[in-house]
Amino acid sequence: MHDGSTPQRHDRRIPPPVRPPDTALRLLVQNVLDYGIFMLDTRGYVVTWNAGAERIKGYRADEIVGRHFSTFYPAEDVAAGKPDWELEVAVAEGRLEDEGWRIRKDGSRFWANVVITALFDETGELRGFGKVTRDLTERRMAEERLRESEERFRLLVQNVLDYGIFMLDTRGYVASWNAGAERIKGYRADEIVGRHFSTFYPAEDVAAGKPDWELEVAVAEGRLEDEGWRIRKDGSRFWANVVITALFDETGELRGFGKVTRDLTERRMAEQALSEGRRLLSHLVEVQEMERRRIAWDVHDDSIQSMVAVGMRLQLLASQLPEEHATALRQLDESIRDTIGRLRNLVFRLRPPVIDEHGLIAALSSYMAEALPASRLSHSLRDELHEEPRPETAVTIFRICQEALVNVLKHARASAVEVSVRTVDNGTLVRVVDNGVGVDGPVTRQPGGDHFGVLEMRERAEIAGGWWAMTGEPGRGTTVEFWLPNLPILPLPERP
Amino acid sequence: MTTPPRSRVLIADDDAMIRSALRAVLDAEPDLEVIAVARDAGEAVVLAEQHTPAVAVLDVRMPGGGGTRAAREIRLRSPNTRLLAFSAHSEMGALDQMRRVGVTECLVKGVSNAEIVATVRRLAQAAPGQ
Ligand SMILES: Nc1ncnc2c1ncn2[C@@H]1O[C@H](COP(=O)(O)OP(=O)(O)O)[C@@H](O)[C@H]1O
Ligand SMILES: [Mg+2]
Repeated sequence: MHDGSTPQRHDRRIPPPVRPPDTALRLLVQNVLDYGIFMLDTRGYVVTWNAGAERIKGYRADEIVGRHFSTFYPAEDVAAGKPDWELEVAVAEGRLEDEGWRIRKDGSRFWANVVITALFDETGELRGFGKVTRDLTERRMAEERLRESEERFRLLVQNVLDYGIFMLDTRGYVASWNAGAERIKGYRADEIVGRHFSTFYPAEDVAAGKPDWELEVAVAEGRLEDEGWRIRKDGSRFWANVVITALFDETGELRGFGKVTRDLTERRMAEQALSEGRRLLSHLVEVQEMERRRIAWDVHDDSIQSMVAVGMRLQLLASQLPEEHATALRQLDESIRDTIGRLRNLVFRLRPPVIDEHGLIAALSSYMAEALPASRLSHSLRDELHEEPRPETAVTIFRICQEALVNVLKHARASAVEVSVRTVDNGTLVRVVDNGVGVDGPVTRQPGGDHFGVLEMRERAEIAGGWWAMTGEPGRGTTVEFWLPNLPILPLPERP
Repeated sequence: MTTPPRSRVLIADDDAMIRSALRAVLDAEPDLEVIAVARDAGEAVVLAEQHTPAVAVLDVRMPGGGGTRAAREIRLRSPNTRLLAFSAHSEMGALDQMRRVGVTECLVKGVSNAEIVATVRRLAQAAPGQ
């Protein structure tokens, strides 16, 4: 390589350049800004300087001409004899190209591309060197950043745990593997790289040719997304979301596939648990309504009728007995009547028979007349129904209104409440608006403890496939608003 | 001195206790006489046609089509019979329907015996040929 001789030993004789450059060319060279173009004598001393060299290195011509070009090199390169060695190579091979750090006048470094050309005259004698320097600091920085970002990206991909990210070759053999893939599928890289990706598919999918078909689709469409069961190393199944991307090079040739896999088993189970919970709740609500209805009719048809009959008998007896006995019987009859009144109330609360016979509006209207004390709470019912909701929906609406109205009575200290029922969007929109103390903002969560009203209203609405909201402002009243679809709830689509 | 003929009354109710209490209350009146008791709408129609009572006291909800059907058919088969609906509280709505098929008076179960008797008597007196 180089001999390590120090470049400090030199004489100050400046040999004339090979041939004086013609004026135009000289002007060009002089003024080029993007390249530092200058000449060194045979020993490496600067002979000429141009505008580009000044811009890049910071020296004016009069500051640098006559100084040795090792000035531009970092101390470690000078110590290693690099400047002299570069000249030797240029002499030996005619030309030397190098990229490396160089030093500006102000001591700062820049990344330089340097071409040194040895200049010989016709007799073959070395006359000096031409040196062209480019400042590639920006490009180098950009490359560095790119490299770093690629490295970071690689590390990211490598270490991502939530996604299995790996590559397949053009035929579907695993070519790379990351931590997420290991976590999700259970294979270490050395166990799976080189194996075909159909390993991840259930036997029935493999038999049906699904893995190959997926690659074909990815090639044809660039990308394929799928959700389905996949198999872990231990044979267990997981519910995967898979995206396969075909990777083409610049010439359009297929180079392989990128595959990103997510394990959605937990999400799927949570969804199922939720929907099962909902189904159970919906069933319980239905059963509860049936039970209430049965009890209501039993009390209505049996208990109340019997008591009415007993009352009639008591009155009859009273009219036939002497007065001293009659009084006691009439008192008995009175208490029977009171009880009948209470039982009728109970029946009404359990299941207003009107709702089955005369529909929602009649039921709401009689409930409001019966339950709200007209003296301190004026109430109105606005009927904008174009379509009577189906019976189950009507009962749900009635129940939510009942709960909301009980809350108005219990909490609002309102002087007026309006219930409006409208047919909207193939469903029924209901508002219960009071002018009382008002809840503070939208109530989204249950206050906790023994308060179930809000929860019950919302659950009832959501089970029926609708939504429910309670909003308010302190001092400006509360609005309970909900919408239920007229359509029956569709069962959740079953996944394979 | 001849006792005036008693007004003949038909009772129809699916509740046995109501039937017998109502019968006892009406029979206790010297001018009223329960001549037939039906347990459902069909029986009420048959008995009404057979006995042509002055008054039929009809439960609103009972098997065989309810008070509405009974009323409609009694009007056809025994046109002179006056009809009284004797309904449970919650069936108030059904009363409109019964009025449309010829029921002229309605009583809610639980009213006093005196009111029942007075209403039946008023209808009986209004019935033609009594
Ligand atoms: N119309 C209303 N006006 C004012 N506050 C209300 C109204 N409705 C509900 N609230 C507030 O929301 C809380 C929760 O209501 P809810 O869940 O029905 O439970 P509970 O009625 O048993 O307290 C109530 O305790 C009350 O503070
Ligand atoms: Mg409440």
